[in-house]
Amino acid sequence: MERRIRVLLARPTQDCHDRGVRYLMRMLRDNGFEVIFTNFLLAEEILSSALQEDVDVIGISSSSGGHMPVFEDLLAGMRKESLDDVLLVGGGTIPQRDIRKLKEWGVAEVFRPGSSAEDLIDFIRKNVGRFSL
Amino acid sequence: MVVPARLSRACRSRTHTSPTTSSTSNSPRSGLRAPILLLGGNLAAQYQFMSWANQPVIGYGLPEHTRERMDYLAAQGMVGYFGRPFYNLVYDLVSHEGLDPDHQGARGRIGQCGMAVYSVRDMERLFNGLDLRKINVVHITYYQVIPALAQYIAYAERLGIEPGELRGNSMNWYHQSAYVGMSAFPPDQALKLAVELVSFCTRNMPRWNTTNFFCYGIEEAGGTAVEEIGLTLAFGKELARACMAAGLKPDDFLPRFGFQIAQANDFFEEVAKIRAMRRIWATTMHDIFGAKDPRSLHVRIHTQTSGAVLTAQQPLANFIRTTLHAFGAALAGTQAMEVSSYDEALAIPTAEAATLALRVQQVIQEETNVQAVSAPLAGSYYVEALTDQIAKAALAVVEKVEAQGGYVAAQQKGWIRREVERSAARWRELVNSGERRIVGQNCYVREEGPEPEIFEISPDVEQIAIERIRELRATRDSARFKRAMSDFEVAAKSFANRKVSELGDDNLMLAAIEAARADATTGEMMGVLKSALTWGPPY
Repeated sequence: MERRIRVLLARPTQDCHDRGVRYLMRMLRDNGFEVIFTNFLLAEEILSSALQEDVDVIGISSSSGGHMPVFEDLLAGMRKESLDDVLLVGGGTIPQRDIRKLKEWGVAEVFRPGSSAEDLIDFIRKNVGRFSL
Repeated sequence: MVVPARLSRACRSRTHTSPTTSSTSNSPRSGLRAPILLLGGNLAAQYQFMSWANQPVIGYGLPEHTRERMDYLAAQGMVGYFGRPFYNLVYDLVSHEGLDPDHQGARGRIGQCGMAVYSVRDMERLFNGLDLRKINVVHITYYQVIPALAQYIAYAERLGIEPGELRGNSMNWYHQSAYVGMSAFPPDQALKLAVELVSFCTRNMPRWNTTNFFCYGIEEAGGTAVEEIGLTLAFGKELARACMAAGLKPDDFLPRFGFQIAQANDFFEEVAKIRAMRRIWATTMHDIFGAKDPRSLHVRIHTQTSGAVLTAQQPLANFIRTTLHAFGAALAGTQAMEVSSYDEALAIPTAEAATLALRVQQVIQEETNVQAVSAPLAGSYYVEALTDQIAKAALAVVEKVEAQGGYVAAQQKGWIRREVERSAARWRELVNSGERRIVGQNCYVREEGPEPEIFEISPDVEQIAIERIRELRATRDSARFKRAMSDFEVAAKSFANRKVSELGDDNLMLAAIEAARADATTGEMMGVLKSALTWGPPY
């Protein structure tokens, strides 16, 4: 049997907005992905879940700000732990100017308010395993 | 799902043919004398007596930055009840997590989405020169509610002001952990914490509003209008029972409960929801809990116009949405209003966006003359029928919660979360299929122009906040601090082992206030509570 794509969806624990990411969890599952969902305080918690669960994709949801240090720390950790073939995406209320910077850093894509679950699903299918930091 | 997400559509088709069919023999109207039950507002004369209070939410950066916005909006005409200053203040992400700014998890979150206030000294910076006796202050916290209130009380004491002279609001929002997935205290301990605050304030702070039911969060998380009020009443019953078990009388604590209610897109349904809530709340508190004081039966509302329905696309169109929401709230007879800003889906508001959100309220207040009349929609066949149907459906939600043993039990089983999430998914399916239209998102889409100016907090906020907390630790009376914290730990451990019926001596709250007097920080006090009561992800 073909191995299903494993996605880690993570959200900062002090961010009260989780409606979108919970919906994505449901949609990804319905579309044949394996989904691990977790809250985090520190980027290293995301990293350790990603290693433990051997994921192909990490998705970070953020809708209350404070996302830049999370991505910065996470990317540094991913490079150190040789997770550079894992597809890293973000979503939520993340301003355009931050998105430009995040993509320079190595984030594959950032999905803004109004994006659909299909956008994310298509993006993952097209890019998983084909992206490296 | 408890009811169809678009209840109003179903109701509309029924009520056209038979507007009266919804009144049944076991209508929730029964059991209460008519004069008490005003569905259009709490008082017969509403805005003619007192206009609604402007309560935009304020909080970002250092306390001084937040103060700047407070003063600015007050100068722009933001005003509370009877012309008094009113400040609706939100704490930052670090405080919400119960941390201090020097914790490694604070980086990037200091002064974000709220103000970097962690101690009595920060409150001095925030309120400097304001007469606390003359202002209303809402402290928007999540689970750090006891530390924040303790610090405010300790700050007031330094100015020679008694707790009983303070006016304002604690959120007491533990119940939201049933549908908002932040780290939290376990639901049974959380209920006791809520009772502790109600108990202390009932005895010592008669002007303080002890609990804000976070109805808003239910609808924003995806719940229906029916779920919003049904789940809120279910929790209201749970909290009222718990307060009574702790020795309080309904008429002593009910008048200081308030409600933060969402006003979203479905215009008539959102108005009828509020009318239905007034009916089922009053009936329940009167018939089941034996409340006699009319104020115990009131649903005092802080409206927040929905943020979840605002779009990042064509953001100026959000003005039209928020204006309709605010107008609906005015027709529903709200007591206070917070209009979301047009850049809600992008970031926290710029000063200009915050001003324009205030102008939405002011135009309705000053120019439309809607305040000349109370309950203007009463008697409309449609609104009355919709009110009946929503009330009935909401009571069915309450029944389902009660059948599981109450709100805490339903939360522990994950039932509340599942219901709300199912409604959220249903809403999204309707948007995806185009049945629910969102202008600029699934219809009338156009290429987006450049993003409007986005608010950013000053980059030196983090360093300053960290330096301040270090200075506080270095300069406070460490003997007094150690003594107070040790007593607080003892109180917290004892609290953790008590039943609700063993509360009522206010021991934990008194120990928290003493810790705040000794300059304990939010992170330090929350550390004690987290460890004594256990803390973790809600699921």
